[in-house]
Amino acid sequence: MFTASLILIISTGLFFFYLQVACQRILRKRFEEEYYRAIVHANRLEFPAVRKSLEEFDAPVDYSRVRMTLQCDYLALTYLLKNAANVNQRFTGEERLLIFYFRAVFFSLVLRHVLKLREKPAILRLTAILQYFANVVGQRVSTVRFGNLAASDYLLSL
Amino acid sequence: MRYLGVAFQYAVYLLEAGLVASLVVRRRAGRLLPAFLYLSLLLVIDGLGRPFVLYRYGYTSDEYGYFYWLTDVLLALGSFLLVCAFFQRACLREPRIWRFVRLVVAFVFVLTFAISLFTLSRNYDQLFTRFIVEFQQNLYFTCLVLNTLLYILMQQIQSTDDELNLLVCGMGVQFAGPAANFALVHLTPGQDYASALYPYLGALCTMGMLLTWFYAVTRTPQTAAIPAREAKRAEFEAAAAPHEA
Repeated sequence: MFTASLILIISTGLFFFYLQVACQRILRKRFEEEYYRAIVHANRLEFPAVRKSLEEFDAPVDYSRVRMTLQCDYLALTYLLKNAANVNQRFTGEERLLIFYFRAVFFSLVLRHVLKLREKPAILRLTAILQYFANVVGQRVSTVRFGNLAASDYLLSL
Repeated sequence: MRYLGVAFQYAVYLLEAGLVASLVVRRRAGRLLPAFLYLSLLLVIDGLGRPFVLYRYGYTSDEYGYFYWLTDVLLALGSFLLVCAFFQRACLREPRIWRFVRLVVAFVFVLTFAISLFTLSRNYDQLFTRFIVEFQQNLYFTCLVLNTLLYILMQQIQSTDDELNLLVCGMGVQFAGPAANFALVHLTPGQDYASALYPYLGALCTMGMLLTWFYAVTRTPQTAAIPAREAKRAEFEAAAAPHEA
């Protein structure tokens, strides 16, 4: 009985660990340009500011504001992922996986807050996922051209 | 609910066939020979053998039960060998580590194989009792531990082989789900929900593995893996070299 319990706990833990590692591998994908900047600028997204405040200034986490910010950015980016320059108007498999991953990490952020654990690693993970989404949207949008300008150039000039 | 299980199963068949075809079309079957062989075995057993026996003898027949569980053991042993092949690939540039790992892995495989053969032959008549649950739980967990040791080794030698990393993650998902499920069945005797979960969870985990492998095969660049130490050395030499005019 003891062995089975141990196997159940370790296997369940490792199952989620491997899922997380697979998601992290997808997030490590390199883009030729920093496409996300144009999307952040055009849509007034706030996740880069959140990340900067945590990484560079080590500012204390204003939980309720950060949570609302990340949630709004997530909603905006998932809408854009589905509808902006997306002919199929569907999420791809890896986008679905990362959406699931975002929700799981977001849930862990809520748990960390309730249990009074460090929230910073979860927030940084969430911003990394949002940056990936913004990069994907930016890359798609940059393929659409208006005369001499790519859509991303146009967005940057706003 | 039954239709959901059937849908999962057909999705797994499609993914298995698609991945094998993708490896052949992209001419990566040679480079990923162990994974290709394992996938072919999976396709033959899971995509052809089991449906044939099911069609011939029926779901509740002893023949189907024996065929299912014995091929499941065969697949688990096959994936064990695959993890051994991944160990070899991870240690490609670390011959000293590979010499040691080779001995350990070979010993563990022979031991697992011998124990499997011995216990299966002794309990062949009681295959549909708690024995098979405990046996499968231990076998999957051994594979999971070995796979996790491989993952740790790759982190230790700072392997930059992204493809292998994803393949190992896929294997981890494939082992961890069923191991946890078998342990749950073992812990809740007489409860049907835990054993009823296996067809769904098993298929979902296989799908997870196949999708991760698909991603590894189709998305990761085909560049040869450069061990981190060599990459660092090259970086250092480039920085130390006098600048040419």
